[in-house]
Amino acid sequence: MTTLEGLAHGLTVALQPSVLIYSLFGALLGTLVGVLPGIGAMAAITLLLPITYYISSEAALVMLAAVYYGAQYGGAVASILLRLPGTPQSAVTTLDGYPMAQQGRAGVALFTAMVSSFAGSMLGIVILVALAGVLGRLATSFGAAEYAAMMVMGLVAASTIGEGRPAKSLSMVVLGVLLGCVGTDVNSGVQRFTFGQVQLLDGINLVALAMGLFGLAEVIGNIRKAERDGPPPHVSLRQLVPSRDDLRRIVAPIGRGTALGGFFGALPGTGSTISSFLGYALERRVARQPERFGQGAIEGIAGPEAANNSAAITAFVPTLTLGIPGDPIMALMLGALVIHGIQPGPMMLEAHPDMFWGLVVSFGIGNLFLLALNLPLIGIWVSMLRIPFRWLYPAIIVFVCLGVYSVRGSTFDIVMVAGIGAIGYALAVAAFSPALLLLGFVLGPLIETNLRRALLVSRGDLMTFVERPVACGFVIATVLLLALPLLKGLRRNGG
Amino acid sequence: MTDLRRSLALASILAGTVATAAAAQNWPSEPLHVFVGFPAGSSPDTIARIVAEPLAEAIGQPVVVENKPGAGGVIAIQQMLARGNDDYSIGININGPLTTAPRLIPDLGYDPAADIAPVGLIATSPLVLAVGADFPADDIQGFIDAAAEPEAISYGSVGEGSGAHLTAELFADAAGVQLFHIPFQSYAEVTTSILGGEIDSGFMAPSAALPHVEAGTMKMLGVTSAEPFAQVPDVPVMAGQAGLPEDFRAELWNAMIAPAGTDPAIVERLNTELNTILNDPEVRDQLLAIGWQAQPGTPEDLAQRITGDTAMWGGVIDRTQAAN
Repeated sequence: MTTLEGLAHGLTVALQPSVLIYSLFGALLGTLVGVLPGIGAMAAITLLLPITYYISSEAALVMLAAVYYGAQYGGAVASILLRLPGTPQSAVTTLDGYPMAQQGRAGVALFTAMVSSFAGSMLGIVILVALAGVLGRLATSFGAAEYAAMMVMGLVAASTIGEGRPAKSLSMVVLGVLLGCVGTDVNSGVQRFTFGQVQLLDGINLVALAMGLFGLAEVIGNIRKAERDGPPPHVSLRQLVPSRDDLRRIVAPIGRGTALGGFFGALPGTGSTISSFLGYALERRVARQPERFGQGAIEGIAGPEAANNSAAITAFVPTLTLGIPGDPIMALMLGALVIHGIQPGPMMLEAHPDMFWGLVVSFGIGNLFLLALNLPLIGIWVSMLRIPFRWLYPAIIVFVCLGVYSVRGSTFDIVMVAGIGAIGYALAVAAFSPALLLLGFVLGPLIETNLRRALLVSRGDLMTFVERPVACGFVIATVLLLALPLLKGLRRNGG
Repeated sequence: MTDLRRSLALASILAGTVATAAAAQNWPSEPLHVFVGFPAGSSPDTIARIVAEPLAEAIGQPVVVENKPGAGGVIAIQQMLARGNDDYSIGININGPLTTAPRLIPDLGYDPAADIAPVGLIATSPLVLAVGADFPADDIQGFIDAAAEPEAISYGSVGEGSGAHLTAELFADAAGVQLFHIPFQSYAEVTTSILGGEIDSGFMAPSAALPHVEAGTMKMLGVTSAEPFAQVPDVPVMAGQAGLPEDFRAELWNAMIAPAGTDPAIVERLNTELNTILNDPEVRDQLLAIGWQAQPGTPEDLAQRITGDTAMWGGVIDRTQAAN
């Protein structure tokens, strides 16, 4: 089946009324859980799983997939308006989105997030269709050495995204890496920093950490303010429309974010949180005036939002072409397929073309629907700002607790989020960047696991990072990233 | 803690014989909660849901699957025990938390022998020894020959102390070879690594390896069950081959359990219903499709499995810890 035939065939599958309705329902639900802080795609898909036993396999997967990519849209809303990320991957959107909202440009920021999400998804679909075979091979050709070298590069590249002095930034990254060490060591089975708490054996819950650092810390920070300063912003439809200058600024970040997210999405185990952080870091790196970042730079929304949406689409490549899920949500979706008697694997495209092409076409339909749904909703979202704190914040705390609990049904995690919230508030008062802590937490364990695995595979030979060309490329890039500012500084001092 | 729970359980049995007999007659009068140690969509969860639906019909009350994932299934057992023996909290879990967990997790908080009442085995699954398509050997003898030099052959597992790790060490011990262990976190990662040529082999769930064998990118050299496994009928059993003992057997299993002190009449009722469900050909097919062989039996059969496997895997853990 050629690509065109496949797409035509996919259209007939995706436009079946039952499939279409489930797709739209999934997208709607995804947006909703994305907006609500803490409650994410994982919780929604878990709840929907029993329903999928009773509908066709195409409708089931199309719906679950729509929840997954739909949640990527909603996550930005509360990040921009309230500095409360709806999902961990949208935490980075708070950095410039919230300042824009404070400057009265909430509408433009939301518009940018939605359009970038849409563009990232649609271009992600093009990448998926055009490069599925290549990207599928990428998943198996990336070994532990490549992952380790790439993640180190990512950590170095992104360590500058915070504000303030480098020592402060670095301390947050290190704290994040240390928090990431909590739990059972994969290599030895030794329990680290668990203090005999069985609940900590699998580590700290990412959602609890993100919601505590950003969500609860923000709520605590606002307690002493009696009410919001100034009159609530009124947003008319005209104010949503970005200026010509805004549009000019977001085109290139969308392109870069899509490419970056498309690459990371296709690698199992990296995913959309890393994509959005690195998307942000990339924009800051290439910007002519990096000091604008953190003050409401529109590129700081466009890049990461395009990246996480593109990653959410290409994450289906290893899942559909190899049967290898890249993250727990993908594993859940594969579980749904298995129940329908479809064994995901390398033969899936040949054995179940309906599923593959139907899904691809449904991505397009779902994203068009999400754009049509979300643009008119911007006005409603912005009006959330008019809700008095005394109503809004208790509601947020309830949703955060629900969301954290939904990840693994653990009351322990709710206690955790409260403690992390207090720490997050202290960090915010001292002007430490919680985004960097989160970055260290996500990348640290990946670096450690892959570094140690690479050394096991090479039987302890460090040369593996030099001999493997791709790994070597990442190592060289990391060295350059570290050396360039140093050289610049030397030249400035010398000249 | 355990002693207290034990004496409480004992007290409730002694004091309440008459009362519980009446309670058992009215049982169940409210929904039954099944604590599952893995997230929705995982194979223990799917097994629990396959069983829960007909069970709810049979007892006339809803059966609620409670996913309490974490620490390899241990958290769900702790949460079940925290509810006390209320006759409405049971568990469906894998072998690990009932056999090897006391050895691997110091602050487990329960003793499988004292705190758990076995209800019945549900299903078993062997592991297959899988290698990449270009691995030089095609059978177990060839694999053992290739592994003659210590640590020449590497294998991936789903973690230190996991079933995949212990099975590989059991095999290596029986075959008289030393394999090189590289721990991963999931079969998906092990698969990727074998396909990428990073590691040589892995003891894997048959359903994880099968799609890649069909695609011609992997080979299965042997299976660890005593009989050929229905999902992969062509893969030869390892027992008795290439110098391995005739009784070589390593299986993962899922079982239904209850807190110790649950009314014995209720345990018996649950066991009877479970066995009826497991003898239904449709249920057997559903289980087989996800890689599990239905294994109806008595609570005593399950108790024997637990003691037997605890001893067997305990021996493997002793040897690997001594080797480190």
